[in-house]
This record gives sequence, structure tokens and C-alpha cells, in this order.
Amino acid sequence: NKDEDDEDLSDSEDSIYSGLEDSGSDSEEDEEEGSDDDGGDVDDNAEDQSLEDIRNTVGNIPMEWYKDFPHIGYDLDGKKIYKPIRNKDELDEFLDKMENPDYWRTVHDKMTASDIVLSDEQVDLVNRLQRGQFGDVNFNEYEPTVEFFSKDVMIHPVTNRPAHKRSFIPSLTEKEKVSKLVHAIKMGWIKPRRVEDDSKGRYYDLWASEDSSISAKHKMHLPAPKIPLPGHEESYNPPPEYLFTEEEQSLWDQQDPIDRKLTFIPKKFDSLRQVPAFSRFIHERFERCLDLYLCPRQRKMRVNVNAEDLIPKLPKPKDLQPFPTTQSLVYRGHSGLVRSISVSPSGQWLASGSDDGSVRLWEVCTSRCMKTIQVGGSVKSIAWNPNSSVCLLAVAVNSEVLILSPALADRQVVSSSERLLAAPQEEGPSEESDTAVWSEAEGEELNQGIRLKIQHPKPVHQVTWHAKGNYLASVMPDHSSHLQVFVHQVSRRRSQNPFRKSKGLVQCVSFHPIRPYFFVATQRSVRIYNLVKQEMTKKLQANSKWISSIAIHSGGDHVICGSYDCRLSWFDLDLSTKPYKMLRHHKKAVRSVAYHKGYPLFASASDDGSVIVCHGTVYNDLLQNPLIVPVKVLRGHAITHNLGVLDVTFHPTQPWVFSSGADATIRLFT
Amino acid sequence: MSQLQARFFTEDKRYEVDDVPFSIPAASEVQDLSNIINKLLEAKHASHTKVEFDFLVKGQFLRTSLSCHIEAEGISVEDVVEIEYVERITAPEPQECITHDDWISSVHADAEWILTGCYDKTAKIWSVEGKPVMTMAGHSDVVKDVAWVKRDGLTSLLLTASLDQTVLLWEWNSERNKVKARHCCRGHTGSVDTISTDPTGSKFCSGSWDKMLKIWSAVPTDEADEVEEPADRPRKKQKTQQLGLTRTPLMTLSGHNEAVSSVLWCNSEEVCSASWDHTIRVWDVETGAMKTTLTGSKVFNCVSYSPLCRWLASGSTDRHIRLWDPRTKGTTALKVHPTFCLDRFSSYNNFFLSLYLPCVLVRRSSGAAVSDLAHWLEPNLLCVCVFQLILSGGADNRLYTYRYSSCQTDAGA
Repeated sequence: NKDEDDEDLSDSEDSIYSGLEDSGSDSEEDEEEGSDDDGGDVDDNAEDQSLEDIRNTVGNIPMEWYKDFPHIGYDLDGKKIYKPIRNKDELDEFLDKMENPDYWRTVHDKMTASDIVLSDEQVDLVNRLQRGQFGDVNFNEYEPTVEFFSKDVMIHPVTNRPAHKRSFIPSLTEKEKVSKLVHAIKMGWIKPRRVEDDSKGRYYDLWASEDSSISAKHKMHLPAPKIPLPGHEESYNPPPEYLFTEEEQSLWDQQDPIDRKLTFIPKKFDSLRQVPAFSRFIHERFERCLDLYLCPRQRKMRVNVNAEDLIPKLPKPKDLQPFPTTQSLVYRGHSGLVRSISVSPSGQWLASGSDDGSVRLWEVCTSRCMKTIQVGGSVKSIAWNPNSSVCLLAVAVNSEVLILSPALADRQVVSSSERLLAAPQEEGPSEESDTAVWSEAEGEELNQGIRLKIQHPKPVHQVTWHAKGNYLASVMPDHSSHLQVFVHQVSRRRSQNPFRKSKGLVQCVSFHPIRPYFFVATQRSVRIYNLVKQEMTKKLQANSKWISSIAIHSGGDHVICGSYDCRLSWFDLDLSTKPYKMLRHHKKAVRSVAYHKGYPLFASASDDGSVIVCHGTVYNDLLQNPLIVPVKVLRGHAITHNLGVLDVTFHPTQPWVFSSGADATIRLFT
Repeated sequence: MSQLQARFFTEDKRYEVDDVPFSIPAASEVQDLSNIINKLLEAKHASHTKVEFDFLVKGQFLRTSLSCHIEAEGISVEDVVEIEYVERITAPEPQECITHDDWISSVHADAEWILTGCYDKTAKIWSVEGKPVMTMAGHSDVVKDVAWVKRDGLTSLLLTASLDQTVLLWEWNSERNKVKARHCCRGHTGSVDTISTDPTGSKFCSGSWDKMLKIWSAVPTDEADEVEEPADRPRKKQKTQQLGLTRTPLMTLSGHNEAVSSVLWCNSEEVCSASWDHTIRVWDVETGAMKTTLTGSKVFNCVSYSPLCRWLASGSTDRHIRLWDPRTKGTTALKVHPTFCLDRFSSYNNFFLSLYLPCVLVRRSSGAAVSDLAHWLEPNLLCVCVFQLILSGGADNRLYTYRYSSCQTDAGA
């Protein structure tokens, strides 16, 4: 009700002001009717609301629409309700204004086109509203507030309305908006707000500029050592325990100035005023300056290298199996030191030559001596023919080379080897005094298996076969002579001396396993000759004083060389004429070296009674260097007369090594 | 450590005791433990008679006091110590020593007679008591292996293999003590190192240095097989060499890359061969096809087969005996033993012999050594054989025989 009243009143206020301008003429009538009405209105106000609208039947429409008509709306009977007749002109208005005491409270009601005279209450109301006060006189706007939310727990909720169904359904539009934002953030179109790091401004390193500016400029700068901070003993009033007792005082006096713990005597003063000037001040400052000036301060760059990292990575011997590890058999029977051994190409038989003047043939798998052949002189070297289709043995005894047919093979093989030996002698054109003389064995020797004898002018130290088994080389070391090496052709019983000039004391010779090369080892070097072109192709410098033996790898590109100064040198012929590797594993002179035919193994025998087996993988790739790993030290031979192991050789098919020693035994390591 | 928690168990059903841990004095020895078990068994069955037991701790025979053994083996005494016990095998007793003229390469015994092959190119038959009965000279080289084939009443068939590349089939009449070379088996081109007859005695297999295995008929006939002789060989000479009728092989099994060191006829249709090429191969005799290849890393010197557990055992130069199950190829039971030349060893019950250079070891098939037999001055033993005696011979020209008490237990490994 109040609201509606207010609206009405505001309307009327408008009309008051407009009425002032518009017209004051018809205010009198308005006032009369209006006062009646108003009186009734005010009276009825509380009782009946609808009564007030009776006069207005057209509703709340712009009154201009009825401006040109004499009526406003229609009554229930459909008859026009005529506007009150307004015939007031300006003069009437003015008169009214002058005469009518209620003119100021007369308001023109546009809806009914009538003038209303406001009652005193209404005027009061208008006045209060105009003052900004509440319309209701009785309303106290300063009533004490009742706190809606209080500390007391209420039994009823503030609102009991259940949550709307809408609140359970996620909003699609919100989702769309959020996804758009997320997409924009992802694409980098908008950047999420960054939290500013304000710590930079708030904290700072007080000492940052102390040294860094210098050390940044000079990389090698080292800041000067700081003077230790003063302690309690430097105080003018030190605690009594810092003061010197008499003993300490006397000790201090006796000590050398350098040895003194303190450079001064702590003293106690009653007040700071009484402390005298420090007499040594200039002195100490000067010393400090000298320290700073004379002390060489330098940053030492130390490289931390682990010593183990410098050693090349080698595989463990365990991973390089198989290689001989244990002594399996001992071949006993010789009475003198066994200088040379050789295994038959089939691997079934072992031949050994000893200083007791005998050649023995052993069964490898049982250590049974199958044959003993007396050759009448200490055997310097023995070699089994590498051709498996013949069964022949070359033995160097004194100045003879004997060709034996031990008949320890298939009949076919024995007969073919006999046929090879039975070839007629070719009469050489030159009959010089220093050539080898071939002769056939007779009588008892023939029964023993000796077939041919090649008489040399000098004692023979080594015999070796060519891989095909037809050629045989023998060595007679002699410093002065050019006649040190003979190459014999068995099938034609012909011998020749390949060298015209002496290049030094020949130690041993060897044929290349594949190509027509001939290796001649002198004391210091190994020369390689091409037999077809008849020229020297290479000279290997062994870096050792006295070569004892050489062995050629089955591939033909690698040579190992043992020397009496305890070294073993490995040459890679493709790489260099200098040793690829020097191995100094032995304590004493290396007597013999050997390669395995199939497995990547080589062995060296030494006077210290040990055989060292090394793994030596040779790669087909020319860029990759051979891998050499020592894998096993085999001991077993007793050292007799300062001689240990004299010869070493591998089994042709198994990773087994045979060694013969000065203790008259041959040992098999498997 | 005065007391020790121990639990006793056995595979022998007759001597089982309750599976409860006992607290026993740590200083107790084999005899004390044996008494404990006997007491327990007496408490269980009244009819129990005293039996001597042997004890295994973690597969090793107990030979010293328990505390010493545990300390030596590094066994934890925190837990209950598991002790296995078996009926004690008394150490084989030495019986005879038969002296030969040369090294003994091989020996094969049956119930009555001992057959030995000798490096003086002969084979000899001896009675079990050690009396020389017969010497068979006929080979032109060392006899490498011998084998009995069959006995029909008084006549026996036997085989000798030699380095001269032949195998001779002899017929020996024990009553008249007459021996006759029936067949000379030619065909190998290397020394025949090993022979083995099939269980029925109708065929035999030989292995040679020439990498071949050959199957021959062991039935004597009166006809010589046709041999293609090389043209250049003088016929006359060949006639004089001939001893017995020539026989050619029924089948040649080739496949090894190195010398065959040992052959073995496992059962009626399977032949097993060990070779220096680091393989053991099992062949089907009917078809001549290779059935299984077991590859090792070392040379195999000998192979033996246990019909009980159907395992193969091989001896190699790295002083190991390896046990193989040929049915699950590649499964190897590696046992560390000091053996080099395990020339011939037989499965008998749960035990086998392995031959080491200075001594013969009797082992359980689990690998524990029961006893070692002989200590030889000449450390080169070449052959052993187990039948009712244990026989061993070698490079000191003597054949030793041992008698052992046959063990009743045959609970397979």
C-alpha cells in the first residue's frame, strides 16, 4: 500500500511542479472535488484499496490519447464519462492562486483530469519524503538490529530450500568458456598471471661484491688469505685463563719467535683508556704486506684421472676359453734334456728329440712311448712334416738332417711317404765342398725308420718344413760364413743355399704358411724374403738383443719373436716393421714361442720353468689391431742346470700345449 | 658350539625316521650318528637289526667329526643342518694283483673270466682268481680295447680292437682252451680305440681315430666279405697278414669332426659316442641317423650310461665329470671332480667309478666320493671295469681287482 501511495505521490509531485508551469486556473475545482475525495480517500485508505480507481476506467495510459475527447473512458453502462468541464483560463488560474488558500496544496490528477486538494497528513508525508525521511511517521529507522547470523546454533536452517536441480548439472556454457581459456593458454595467446618474484629486491648478498668482481675478471685470481679474527687473548681485559702464568711466561720468553703460539703476551687493563699504543703495529702491517706480496698464489689445475682408466680394457681370461689350464700328462722316458718336440698333423703322435741321443714317439692321449729311435747324437731340432698325406719326421743331429718314416699312420700314408722318399737323386751340376750330401740309410738304421740322411758341412741347429711338406730348411749358425741356411727339396733330393751374403748369425728360419715367403731371424732382426722374386721384402726390427725363436701365425700376417732378453715381440706385418707389442712376462730367457693353428692362442716357454699362454685374436679387419691378453702361466717343469722349458708346441686341433724341459720330461697342459 | 640342530632324512624307505630336528653333540662322529639312527629305528620297529650308516651333509660324505666337517664346508649352524644317511658301503677290498708284460690298455670282466688288452699287442684271458688262461696274439699293433660278446656254454666270442686299424673277433673254447680268430674286421683307416657290443651280442660298434663309427655283425660265419683291395697292394703279402676271415662293416656312421674316443651301446637301438670334437652324439642304429648331439666345451674321453637313471656321464680333460640327460638335450649336471682319463666306468646301482690319474674313485651318482681305491706309483691309470669286481689297470703293468659289497639300495638318482 505504502509503495503504491509513494508512486502516486511522486506522480503528483511531478504534476505539482508541472502544474506550476502549466496552469493554475483549474486548481480550484480540483481542490474542491479533490478535498472531498481525498478526505474519503484518506479515510477509506486503510479499508478499501479498490475504491480509489473507480473514477479512472481507462487504466494507466497516456492521457494525451483522450486530449481531444470530451470524455475519459466509459462507465459500466457504456456511457461516456465526461471530463469535468475545465474552463479556467489564465486569469482564473491567477485569481485562484491569489484567492484560494488551498491552492498550494491543490494537485491536478491527470488520470481523472480533476484537481485534488491534499490534506495535512499528505502534505506532511510529502514534506517528509522531500526531506529524505521515511513516509511512515511511526517507523523507527534506528531500531536495534537483530543479527541474522548469530553465534547461537539455530534449530532451523537459514533456508530450507533444497538445492536446485540445475546445481547438479555442470554448466555447458561455463565449460565452453573454460575450454576456450585453456586453449588460449595452451596456444600462448594469453599468458596466465605470473607471480612476481619480489625476493630479488628484498634480499641481497652483502658479501657478493667482495671478491667476485676480481675473480670474475681474472680467472686465475686467488683471494688473499684473511687474517684470523682477534680472540679473547687479544682483549684488553681477557678472562683470567688467557693470562699467562709464570711458567707460560718463561716458556714464551725462551721460545724462538717463530715457535711461539702467540706473538704477544695477553695483558689485562682496567679500562680501554689505559691500553697503550701497539708498538709492533707498523711491523705487523709490513709483514702482512710482505706476505701478500711475496706469497705466490696460484690456482693449480689438477686433473683427476683414475689410474685404472688409463689401462686399456681387456677381456677377462675367463671369457677367452678355451685355453690350456692344467697339467694333464707327463711323458717320461728321456734321460737327457728334451730340446725339441713336434706333434703330428693328425694330433695323435708326439715326437721328441733329446740330448740322450734318441728320438721318441709318444701316443698323445696316453703318454705311451710307442717308439724309441737311437740317432747317435743329441737331437737339436725335430719337425713333423705338416702335410697330412705323408708321415715323415725331420731330425737335426750333429751335422746331419735325418728324414724318418715312423710308420705310425695308415698304410696308404706310409706308402705315399715311402714313395716320396724313393724318388731318384738328381745329380747337381756343381759338386762343391760346402753343399749338402744326400744318402740313404742302411741296415739297422733303416729298420729303425731312418730313410734319408743329409750331411751338412756344419752342425745343424734347426730344421723346419714348408707347409706343403716337400721343402725343408735347415739352419747352421755361423757368424763368418754365408753358408748358414739350406733349403732342401725332398722329392728331388736337392739342396740349395739361398743366400750369397752373410747378414749376421742366423738363429732360426721359417716358411710362410701360405705365400712364398721365407723368414730368417738373425740376432737382432727378422728378414722376410720373397722366394719367387728372390729379394728381401721386409726387415723387422725386434728391439731385442738376441732372438731365440720365431713363429708365424697361420694367417701369415703376424709374427711372434722370442728373445734371450726375456721379451716376446709381436709383429703385425701390415702395420709396421717395429713390434706391435712387447711382452715382458718371463723372468728369464724365452726359449721358444708357438702359435696355435686354429685357436687364437700363442705360448712362450722360458728358462724360468714356466710356459705362458696368451690369447691373441687377429682380426680380418685391417683397421683393428690384434687383441693380446695373457691368460695362463703354466708351471710344472723343474729347472735343471739353469734351464727350464726348452720347447713349446700346440696340439694341431685341440687347445692343448706341450712343453719339453731340461728335466727330461714332456708335459701336456689341457 | 656343543650342540647342533640336525634333521635326518634318507631316500631309503626301509630306514626312514621321523622328520623332526634333533639336538646332537657337535663333536659326534659317524659312529655316534649311526648309533643314534639305529636307536631311533629300534624304537620304531622292534625287529630292527643294527645297520651301519654313512652320512652326507650337503652332498659330501661325513668323514671327520660333525663340527670339523661343518667348519670345513662352511655350513651355517644357525639353521637346522640337513643330514642325509645311507647304508654304509664298505670300502672295496683289494683282492688280486695280476702282472702283465706291458701296459694294460683295457679290461672287461664277466662272471668267470677277465679279458685284458695289453700294449704288447696281445689280449689275455684270466680267471677271476688271477690265473693266466689264454693269450691271443694276432694284432700287429697295440690292443686298444677288448670286449666279451657272448657266451654259449663253453664257447665264448670276444673282440679285440687295435691300433693296426682292425678289430678281431675271436672264438674261445674254455674247456679245450683253444682260441681261433674268426673274423678280421677291416674298414677303419685309423686306430680303433673303442668297441662296444649291443645287448644281444649280435652286433658291435667300433669308434676310431679316423672320426668314424662302424657297426659290424658279431655273428661268426664261414664266409669272408668281399673287400675291394687297392690294386697296387701285393696279394701275397696281404694273405700272410690275414688272420681270420675278412669282415666289412654293416654301416658307417660319420659326423664327428675329430677322433672318436668312446662308444657305448645304450640300448638295443641307440649308440652313443664321445669324441674329441667336444660332442657326444647319440645315433639310431637302425637308420644310421644322428638323434642327439650334446655339445660340451672340452674334449670328451669317455662316456657311460646308467640304465637306472638313464643319464649319460662323460669324462673330459678338464677334470670334470658331467652328467647329461640325453632326453632333455642340453641339460647338463656339472659336477666338479678331479678326473682326467675316465676311460671306462660303469653304472652299477647308484655308484659309478671314475678314474683319475693316481686313483680310482667310487662315487655315488650324486657326485660324492665314497672311497678311493688305489695309490699308484706310476700315476697313469688307463682302464677300469665294474662287474662283480672292480678292476683297474694302467701303465704300471698291473691289474688290480677289488671286491665290494653290493649295495641293496637302488633308489635312482
